[in-house]
Amino acid sequence: MGKVLKDVVCSFCGCLCDNLEIAVENGKINPVSRACKVSISRFVNYNKDRVPYPMIREKGGLVKTSLDEAINKAAEILSRANWPLIYGLSSSVCEAHRKCVELAELVGGVIDQTATVCHAPTILAFQEIGEIHATLGEIKNRSDLVIFWGCNPLDAHLNHFVRYSVTPKGLYISKGRKDRTVVAVDVRETRTTRVADIFLRIEPGKDYELLSVLRALINGKEIDLDKVAGVSMEEIRELAEKMVNCRYGVIFFGLGLTMSRGKHYNVMAALSLVRDLNKKTRFVIIPMRGHYNVKGAGVVLGWQTGYPFAVDFSRGYPRYGPGEFSAVNLLANGEVDAALILAADPAANFPVSASKHLARIPTVVIDPKISMTSLIADVVIPSAVSGIEAEGTAYRMDGVPIRLRKIIDPEPGVLADSEVLQLIIDRVKGVR
Amino acid sequence: MQGERVIIRNGFVYDPINKVNGERMNIYIENGKISEEFKEEGAKVIDATGKVVMPGGVDIHSHIAGKINAARLFRPEDHKGDVVSKTTNTRSGVGYSLPSTFTTGYRYASMGYTTVFEPAVTPLEARHAHEELIDTPIIDSGLMVCLGNNYFTLKYIKEGEVEKLKGFISWLMKAVKGFSVKIVNPGGQETWKWGKNVTSLDDKVIGFDVTPKEIVTNLARVNEELGMPHTIHIHCNNLGSPGNYEITIETMDALRNIKPVKGRKNVVHIAHSQFNSYGGKTWRDFSSGAGEVADYINKHSHVTTCIGQVIFTNTTTITSDGPWQYRLWLLTGNKWTGADVELETSGGIVPYVFRKRNPVNAIQWAVGLELLLLIRDPWRVYLTTDHPNGGPFTLYPQVIGWLMSRKSREELLKKIHKAASTRTQLPGIRREYNLEEIAIITRAGTAKSLGLKSKGHLGVGADADVAIYSFNPEKDSTSDYEKIVSSFSKAAYTLKNGEIVVKDGEIIGSPMGKTFWVECKAPQEQEIMDDLEKTFYNYYTVTLTNFPVQFDYLPLHEPLKTMV
Amino acid sequence: METLDVVLITGRTDKQGVTLEIGKTSMDYYESVAVVELNEEDAEKLGLNENQPVKVETENGAVIVRCKYSKSVKPGLAFMPYGPWTSLLMTHNTEGISMPSYKGVKAKITPQEEKMKVLTIEEILDQFIRG
Repeated sequence: MGKVLKDVVCSFCGCLCDNLEIAVENGKINPVSRACKVSISRFVNYNKDRVPYPMIREKGGLVKTSLDEAINKAAEILSRANWPLIYGLSSSVCEAHRKCVELAELVGGVIDQTATVCHAPTILAFQEIGEIHATLGEIKNRSDLVIFWGCNPLDAHLNHFVRYSVTPKGLYISKGRKDRTVVAVDVRETRTTRVADIFLRIEPGKDYELLSVLRALINGKEIDLDKVAGVSMEEIRELAEKMVNCRYGVIFFGLGLTMSRGKHYNVMAALSLVRDLNKKTRFVIIPMRGHYNVKGAGVVLGWQTGYPFAVDFSRGYPRYGPGEFSAVNLLANGEVDAALILAADPAANFPVSASKHLARIPTVVIDPKISMTSLIADVVIPSAVSGIEAEGTAYRMDGVPIRLRKIIDPEPGVLADSEVLQLIIDRVKGVR
Repeated sequence: MQGERVIIRNGFVYDPINKVNGERMNIYIENGKISEEFKEEGAKVIDATGKVVMPGGVDIHSHIAGKINAARLFRPEDHKGDVVSKTTNTRSGVGYSLPSTFTTGYRYASMGYTTVFEPAVTPLEARHAHEELIDTPIIDSGLMVCLGNNYFTLKYIKEGEVEKLKGFISWLMKAVKGFSVKIVNPGGQETWKWGKNVTSLDDKVIGFDVTPKEIVTNLARVNEELGMPHTIHIHCNNLGSPGNYEITIETMDALRNIKPVKGRKNVVHIAHSQFNSYGGKTWRDFSSGAGEVADYINKHSHVTTCIGQVIFTNTTTITSDGPWQYRLWLLTGNKWTGADVELETSGGIVPYVFRKRNPVNAIQWAVGLELLLLIRDPWRVYLTTDHPNGGPFTLYPQVIGWLMSRKSREELLKKIHKAASTRTQLPGIRREYNLEEIAIITRAGTAKSLGLKSKGHLGVGADADVAIYSFNPEKDSTSDYEKIVSSFSKAAYTLKNGEIVVKDGEIIGSPMGKTFWVECKAPQEQEIMDDLEKTFYNYYTVTLTNFPVQFDYLPLHEPLKTMV
Repeated sequence: METLDVVLITGRTDKQGVTLEIGKTSMDYYESVAVVELNEEDAEKLGLNENQPVKVETENGAVIVRCKYSKSVKPGLAFMPYGPWTSLLMTHNTEGISMPSYKGVKAKITPQEEKMKVLTIEEILDQFIRG
């Protein structure tokens, strides 16, 4: 076994576990301990399925080119466009995000990030209601009631339970799991619901109703119903009582709220419920952010433009337009005429009608790995894997900033995302 | 700039630290520093004839990095009416009460400010504040670190381990590249994590059995014994509440016998005292307590204060005072965001409109001015709005106008709720500030309080940060409110390290600012390493290895030595 | 052939996370993501075998994936890992807020003969996305 590095940060999900032990030997990486299985796969397979070299599209196919030529082509595409889209960001570091905003401003385009199709409703609801938030350590140290609503950490945030929310002992949680009541609310049974003390299986699309009834109950209103969202009033009353009587409760919620009927209204109902609970006890709410730095993308856009996503620079100053300057809308409506995609794969996840337009317009992809989007791009520029081959800043789902480390050198000539973007910026400035 | 020589010719120079009071003279700049006189040949000459020349402004308390970002994201409605376009040499952004980072740097510089301190950073998120400072052009800065509810503070005070507390602070300042010790609602944030607050200096903090009084006195003692360049900086208990002038005076008085480090007399800075100088018992009989607070400060040299002046506008309250923000939500019904940070702080954000016709708001406006006018020694009272809590920093010139022009105060008093006239002393105060006093409360005094030797003056060796204002003290009336406001809103020139960054209020240069931090070297650091390791392992969710802020986040920085 | 009406939920799975890191174009990813989970009762009603191809159809499109038996979804519900195959089923209508509905979508499930092929990523690109 080669050198063992301690306290390495994993750059997969929004948990940003920062205590991994990783062995590095002869260009191979082997997690030794504390990595979850996704994290192990990330480190072990970091060099598989890589973009092998810079490529540009010629006569329908992607062909090898020099980095310099690829940068030229990318700059040309972005400079010529009337209204280009810069999209992605969530699986890269803040240093690259900063360059993305600069580039979007420079070319008078739109910048949007993957929150647009995951927690955009959360952001909209936050802007309407506010969010009573805590860092994950407060949950570890204090939370005696932990509610997972429309999220399934045991499949999506694998170490969340053991590091933050369920099993760890904390300052005021001396017995760990035994000191906490765990509740899961979901439309289907999952690994998470199976280990919860209480599982409320609700009907799809009925989250708003259930959250609103809970809020009415904790505010002392009478409810004359037998069932809400397929859950009996007895169960609902029991949960309301647990909420009011806990010391420091938390709701973790995921895309079960944001992607279902009601979307931001669901989240508004959850935020309002938690806010009101603070009249009775302490209660906080934390969205489960997926990609390791999707939180950071919003943070960087926030300090540079004032807005978290869907920001347009076509007038020379930032304008915010969820639904108007959002990637899916702009693509599906055929409004943007070029795109740069950083560390995301819209062609794999966006509705196909949006992806079709992406295939039609000149598209630049910066990514370490082959993605579906890279297969339809006109310029593909390989980059170093952040958190493995490049360092930089990422924000955990609760907003705690952590520095990712470089643990192995990238192949010669492969640059970090921020360096690639800087080259494009310089070239665009030169072209103009 | 390196190698460049600049002469600022024939301005009316106000440099109170060097006892220059409006004399017509030249200022010489070489290699970014103020220098001895040199020959004009080859130098760039700025004609300041008929203009005021001051050191660059130094803001001691303005929320520009860190928590403010959550507020930016929270309030898109704040930005939409105040947009900032890109230019050939500046980045775009948004303004009003929550300006984006670039806009923050530009707007400060265009007012002639060149140094601004962020007063409330929670250690776990210090990396974020430093990232924002990188994107805040022109101005130099530093971060005050919230310690009044920190786990280690509370634990070591409870255990009577003051030396270990010293070791902890020494270590922490290095770890997060912090500048000074900030205390927000001592004990109250921790107590809020159980849904309660502390309301007297002798209340006990739940879980730790220590009192706010013990927190402030121990931190003050440790701060002075470490020889920190700045004193402890306190946001007192009961902020915003009727009758809170009493606890403000009690807090100051509890610190009366702390021995200051050699070289200064003061041991405590009371932040935004306007928000902590209220009389009355309820919102109904709410009144000014500024007279009492000013009187105490006039009689005791161990205190400095900044004001947190209220301005009638739509702004955003952001504090680490979790229970106060909760209360403000209950009071206003406006949207509320809260945030608890493990082992360190809590906090929140609530939008707020200060209204002229609201009796409480009218009194708050008057209280700030009363403090500024009743505290006699300008070296111990500083102009701030606690940006953005009392209003955005861009409105400082209005405050300068009110201080210099009694007439302008009287005119505004007529337009606002009469409570400002009947329940405060403001209508009877005749004092008007002169330009020297303005220079003290906006740069010289603040630089001195912060312990920055290179800032706030134009003596040889000082950083060549200079503000030139189009105000002619021989011709323009110092009680001409409009003229004062327009002169101080847009500097004729601002120089940063000798580089012209602003001309006629417009940005023409945008260098990166530097970050000050304090490099303590207390030997007691060794005694706490075991505790640190254990606590990080058991109670933090970030490892001790990954907690410290790397120098990557401080591309330009200046570590200051402690004073011992 | 019999058809079943379901409510379709998409979401993440741990297998998807693991195989994603191997590569989007890998067989592992294909096998773990191009699937739909149905309640055993529903699957039996349709006479479906485990791994048999089924067509999932919404008002926006249709896709063939393999059927997995599942106890975790109740009858009337279907689950698919979020990815290239679900993207063929979703509307781009974001109701003005940037976010398409990816959960709780009405869908029809129709069993397919064993020879019906589940499209690879390359085939999806060719047939649906590339001009």
